[in-house]
Amino acid sequence: MNKTIIFAIIILMAKFAHAQNEDSVFKDSSKIVDLTEVTVYNSKKVNKATDYFKSNQSATLEDIMSRLPELSLIKRGPYGMEPSIRNLSDGRINVLIDGMKIHGACTDKMDPVTIYIEPSNLKSLEVESGGTGSFSGSSIGGTINMKKDEPLLYSGKTFSGIVQSGFQTAAKSFYEGVQLNYSTKKFGIKGAATYRNSSNYRSGGGKIIPFSQFEKINYSLSLKYKLNERLYYLADYIGDKGYNIGYPALPMDVGFASANIGSMSLSYSDNSKKLYTWNLKVYANSVVHKMDDTKRPNVPMHMDMPGESNTKGFYAEASYRINRHQKIDVRIDASSVFLKADMTMYQPGELPMYMLTWPDNRTNQAGIAAKWNVHVSDKSSFMISGRLDGINSGLVTTESKSQMSIFGYEKKRNDFLKSVSAKAYQKAGKNISIISSLSYSERFPTATELYGFYLFNASENYDYIGNPFLNPEKSIQAELTGNYRFGRSNIKLTGYYIHVLDYITGMVNPALSVMTIGAAGVKRFEQIKFADIIGAEGSLFLNVNKNVDVVSTLKYAYGKDSENNPLVAIAPLKSIVSVRRTFNNFYVQAESEMSAAQNRVNKMAAELPTNGFAIFHLRGEYNFAFFKLNSKAQFGVENILDKNYTEHLDWGKIPRQGRNFYIQLKVAF
Amino acid sequence: MKKLFLIVSVLFAVIMSSCKKDEVQQQPVINLEKIYEGSVEGTGLKVELYSKQISQYAQYSTFWIAVKDAAGNPIQNATINVVPFMDMGSMQHSAPVENPSASAVDNLYKFSAVFIMTGNWALNINITANSQTGAVSIPLNIQAPAKPKVKSFTSSADGSKYFYAYIEPTSPVVGINDMEIAVFKTGPMMMTFPPDSSMTIGLEPEMPSMGHGSPNNVSPVHIGNGHYKGKVNFTMTGLWKLNLDFMSGGTLAGEDQYFEIEF
Repeated sequence: MNKTIIFAIIILMAKFAHAQNEDSVFKDSSKIVDLTEVTVYNSKKVNKATDYFKSNQSATLEDIMSRLPELSLIKRGPYGMEPSIRNLSDGRINVLIDGMKIHGACTDKMDPVTIYIEPSNLKSLEVESGGTGSFSGSSIGGTINMKKDEPLLYSGKTFSGIVQSGFQTAAKSFYEGVQLNYSTKKFGIKGAATYRNSSNYRSGGGKIIPFSQFEKINYSLSLKYKLNERLYYLADYIGDKGYNIGYPALPMDVGFASANIGSMSLSYSDNSKKLYTWNLKVYANSVVHKMDDTKRPNVPMHMDMPGESNTKGFYAEASYRINRHQKIDVRIDASSVFLKADMTMYQPGELPMYMLTWPDNRTNQAGIAAKWNVHVSDKSSFMISGRLDGINSGLVTTESKSQMSIFGYEKKRNDFLKSVSAKAYQKAGKNISIISSLSYSERFPTATELYGFYLFNASENYDYIGNPFLNPEKSIQAELTGNYRFGRSNIKLTGYYIHVLDYITGMVNPALSVMTIGAAGVKRFEQIKFADIIGAEGSLFLNVNKNVDVVSTLKYAYGKDSENNPLVAIAPLKSIVSVRRTFNNFYVQAESEMSAAQNRVNKMAAELPTNGFAIFHLRGEYNFAFFKLNSKAQFGVENILDKNYTEHLDWGKIPRQGRNFYIQLKVAF
Repeated sequence: MKKLFLIVSVLFAVIMSSCKKDEVQQQPVINLEKIYEGSVEGTGLKVELYSKQISQYAQYSTFWIAVKDAAGNPIQNATINVVPFMDMGSMQHSAPVENPSASAVDNLYKFSAVFIMTGNWALNINITANSQTGAVSIPLNIQAPAKPKVKSFTSSADGSKYFYAYIEPTSPVVGINDMEIAVFKTGPMMMTFPPDSSMTIGLEPEMPSMGHGSPNNVSPVHIGNGHYKGKVNFTMTGLWKLNLDFMSGGTLAGEDQYFEIEF
């Protein structure tokens, strides 16, 4: 019954045009890969899809991701939400910045990589779902790659820039941003800084949510130098500092978090050559993260929990045209990730209690990937890709080895991961195209899954222990997408099936005693035979007339494990509908976000059902000249009805923001 | 040239090896503190007593004795018998002791005593060497350690009083630690303390301020001379309580026994 309704709705709904034009597939078969990528181009070009995703100028990357049908967000605080692709997250997906690996430094996943990119610096956000998204790293869930803006080279203006400012009422939050670009014909330099300051927010109904404040500053500097017409040198730095970031769903907050991310690259492109493009990048980054419980009342025992991650790596990518119909992309990469986190607890009158929560460990990886694109005819093309990875992982200090010897862990481990996928594009009739894919992929267990030492999961109220004897998870996936175009409108429907073998999950281990005061027990990461996720996504871009557009997305997923238990953290049926009426230099947009209830919950993970909800937003934008400068004002009200609601993936059922008025100004020069 | 090199190498080797010999002779005394030096009355013998530290505590304590003749040459095969002794006025008693074996190792005779209480003790030592026999009494002031290292219980199995002493770990780490304790039965008048081998010991570490334990510990089992050896695992630093249960022939001989250790 339920299913029938769902499918009926799916058929009615669907997707806007991703910035991709289906026809381009015929011209360049490599675009097949991009078909499942959602590309959000920044400003300049008027792109309705972009505006849809980037609901307002001060939208965080999380806001944007929440509007992509492939993505869901796991929320522990008002900030730092963890993305999941089709309900697969963390170690099951790659989250990259310009193809670089970055590992969070927080054992509680308070610092997903997506917090380091401000949308104002974002050139595109690419989401490749499933096993076909393993080109830039072994994963079973796919890849989110955030492509950062590069400095402009001389385009008639030596100096250019953008200044932005905004205010939102629900959290009394300020947003200030500035971007400056200096360029000559050979050289461009771009600096950007964003400051966000937010107080405790007001939830629907008026209750203030304590410990939901945050303050952060993000700054970046990049430099581009043209060596010759085909070759560019690019150096890039991103710094990010967060202060006093509240996590209402966790027993502690973040006092201070800092990330430094740097890279240098060379990129070449010459369309007349067989080897028509290549890109070489070396990078290094470090993240420091300090949790803080000093502001919380009734803390049974004060503790310090700092963590750090250090990553170094490189990659080289090249595209080679075999002939008019075939091309090959190759990628070689290697990285080394060091992680350490510890905990010191203070009981008055006793010596401090110190232990490693991520015992010092290092994971080295080297991989090679290739994609073969074949343009069979104007009506069909296909792509075959594969990736191999060698991974070496282990504890690196005497201290960490000694601690983990309690569980008999000593040896380093070596693993070999394989992924292979095939994807085909077929045009069936004038307006219909079908994309199908099949993949097999493997992923390496995370440091938490391997080495975690009594890591507290606040959502489940269990301590978690790692298991270094875990095998890589394996996944078989199938996906089918149908796309129907009519005029400037487009409907897209995707169905997928994800079968994960040796699925890693926490199992209660009654032999172990809890570390965290008040925890219900200890779980150890173990593997169950398999888990399945079946789901569908739809999107619709409807161009009603010159001035009216409708964008709508819909997603649904059903997950269960080999014991027929529902999988934990499966987002329920959700739909977003947005209608826009454009006037001359002005538009208004009405939106609804609707979510069904989720009653299929995992009891072993102490998951509770979540009610459905519907919320409504109204937005507007006005473009004007301010002292002859291109200016834009945006304003709106979100959650107009002040509904008190939570999404299923929100930890602790902390209500989300209530009615929120916002206004932002942007001036470009 | 080659020859010269050969000669130099040989010379170097000889010098190095002779240096090494010196080191070997010096080594036993390195890291040890001399806490007593005196002569054995009625003989021409001299004794020196060494310990790892100058202050002595109520715990399982290891000592080293050097016996020398009048000329100061070390004697390798003395017969030594040690009796710890405490005179409390109204009563006198001894303490558990593990006497040295007949021959010295690196010129030193190693023995251990378990001071079962604080106060003024004497180590009464009988020495027979070079056909001479004599005695020496070495006074020791025994202080209380930071956490008690010797405890006792009266067995509900046989009504006897047992002392048990903490030996290892002396330098605990987060991780797996060798754990060793010694158990002694109290003899008549508290003058002898024969080592006990009859106990089955249950070990359960606990962090009292947090209420948790640690996994995969190995309960101490008897390895000889009243010593029981097992493994204790610490998951973090801080104050730990090592809960011990002593079973004797299927009966709980001593329960709720424990050592505390803080690092």
